[in-house]
Amino acid sequence: MNAAFWILAAITVAGAVLAVSQRNLVHCLLALVLFFLGIAGHYFLLRAEFLAAVQILIYIGAVAVLILFAIMLTRNVTGTEIPREILGGKWWTGAATAAIIAGLLAWAIRADRTTATPSGAAVLVRELGLTLMKDWAVPLEILAVLLTAALIGAVVIALEEPPHPNPLPRRGEGTPRPLGERPAAPSSAQTGEGKSGGAA
Amino acid sequence: MTIPLHHYLLLSAVLFAVGLCGALTRRNAIIVLMAIEVMFNSAILNLIVFWQYRGFAAPTPQMIAIFAIAIAAAESTVGLALVIAVYRHYKSVNVEEFTALKG
Amino acid sequence: METVYKWLKNLATGAPDWALLGVAMLVAIGFLLAVFPGVFAFITWAERKGLGRIQNRMGPNRVGPVGLFQPIADGLKILTKEDIVPRRADGFVHFLAPVVAVVPALLALVVVPVGAGLVAVNLNIGILFAFAVSTASVLALFMAGWASRNKFSLLGAMRAVAQVVSYEVPTVLSAVVVLMVVGSLSTLDIVESQRGWFGWHVFKPWGAIGFFLFTCGALAEAGRTPFDIPEAESEIVAGYHTEYSGFKFALFQMGEYLASLAMMSIGVTMFLGGYLGPGSGPGVLGTLISMGWFFAKLLAMIAVVIWIRGTWPRLRVDQLLAFAWRFLLPLSLINIVAAGLWHFIPSKPVGWGVSAALLAASCWVLTRLNGRAYIEKRSYRLTS
Repeated sequence: MNAAFWILAAITVAGAVLAVSQRNLVHCLLALVLFFLGIAGHYFLLRAEFLAAVQILIYIGAVAVLILFAIMLTRNVTGTEIPREILGGKWWTGAATAAIIAGLLAWAIRADRTTATPSGAAVLVRELGLTLMKDWAVPLEILAVLLTAALIGAVVIALEEPPHPNPLPRRGEGTPRPLGERPAAPSSAQTGEGKSGGAA
Repeated sequence: MTIPLHHYLLLSAVLFAVGLCGALTRRNAIIVLMAIEVMFNSAILNLIVFWQYRGFAAPTPQMIAIFAIAIAAAESTVGLALVIAVYRHYKSVNVEEFTALKG
Repeated sequence: METVYKWLKNLATGAPDWALLGVAMLVAIGFLLAVFPGVFAFITWAERKGLGRIQNRMGPNRVGPVGLFQPIADGLKILTKEDIVPRRADGFVHFLAPVVAVVPALLALVVVPVGAGLVAVNLNIGILFAFAVSTASVLALFMAGWASRNKFSLLGAMRAVAQVVSYEVPTVLSAVVVLMVVGSLSTLDIVESQRGWFGWHVFKPWGAIGFFLFTCGALAEAGRTPFDIPEAESEIVAGYHTEYSGFKFALFQMGEYLASLAMMSIGVTMFLGGYLGPGSGPGVLGTLISMGWFFAKLLAMIAVVIWIRGTWPRLRVDQLLAFAWRFLLPLSLINIVAAGLWHFIPSKPVGWGVSAALLAASCWVLTRLNGRAYIEKRSYRLTS
């Protein structure tokens, strides 16, 4: 199955590279979906079929839609949608760090030449289910609590509040006013909140 | 002829590096979160590769992978909720504008 | 595919293995690609005729006998239409959205057994794979609404996405009930567990409620009446496919119908006994009879769905979401409990009685909780 591995590897790397380099946000997201599909293909190759289906179900079915909603809710409704530069200031430090880490990992992998062959074993879903319910029952319950907490937390964080009397200033506008003073420009704060509220 | 182990490890290392580069260089907070997802997935791929190539008796690596996917989904949910909340204050998702805590 | 492969091996013993596998794959894929779009074309004719008769008119009867060539005429018309893409639309995403709408439906058909042993790929995780790829079609709705750069498209897409995502949960939970009792995710195992007189899952109390839940979810995910907000004439222009014309629009329609066909096939597999029926068994004649049974059940479900479309009004979008979250979801959770009780109570009649009573009581309670409060919330402001 050599050809399958190389094709899937090409798809996966292309998806990842496009996902972090595109200018348009929705194109980035589509490349990310391609990346997820490539990873799911690799899971199929590695005989972890349940995990591949779970990957498609959770990442493409839920996380991608979530990111789409976030993109839609954080659009710049006035002015241009795509900023001029996509890279932050001093971006070469980030790129250098990533290159150094890639080099370190490649050197560590090359230094190890153990000849391990894939066992070709696949785990039946029945066995996964039994293990989940018997040995991993407590982590399962903790995961359920964690997911519920994340759900409630996300809703609370993203909930719309009435406009703050003293909003934080944007970059370059000066220091924030202490609480207790009257707001300087209530009309702009109101229309700003109303606009983002209307778009949500 | 099967795929040698280090090919898979190199693949996941490359994907991790790509995700790291994206997380450190892009200005848009949502793309930073997408790059973090790329890093997550490459790490879980690494885990499953070792499961296949080392022959574990119990399906422990797959269990870890399932839990990791669930936790990654929860983390991206909360992260995007934070981005939406920050957008309401700053009216932008540019990470260079979030300077309220700067010393 | 494995059945075809074994049959080919018996036929041509000298041929190399990869050639036999390739031919078996091509036969399986060709069968899926030929039969199910053919059934889609048949449905378009049957729907127009059926709706016409329900509405006291004839339906298409000009093109061919009884109007049977109408799908061909429709196809030719829509292929020759101009393909309009708005200038400010995102070209790449606009082009890709209809494709992403069709492909998951075809992928979900891969695990459906259309006859005794005739499944394209007998995956160990069959049903999970089918549900996983049908959740991927949510992206197509959003891509279509976003790429059109049209506020109405975006609004329609948001409503369609909310509808599909809300109805995924009761659908999957109602499938979980079947998987619990059968103990396997493979579609062949699920069908084989329904052997015997009245062995279909729909004849058991949790199966009947599960079938109802699954059908509601399948109708809503495919966007058929009474849940067809995105494509209703009185709604927001045309929803997410406002800016599509020509072949791309036809692909959207095909994607919707194929998705409903895929979900109905999975419903037939899980609840109505798949290809089982008197006379279906191994052997060539038995296999053909089993295929006949499968398609007969599928056509019966299609007929019921067309009937529902012709007779019931459509739900408003908030009624639709309330129906999913306040009625179907609690009912699906109680269904799981009832199935557990049915399975584990030692004496059969007591088990049947307890689970049936629990389901009936929960249906009544949920109807009472949802009906009255909701209807009384409306208030009419009359002009004086």
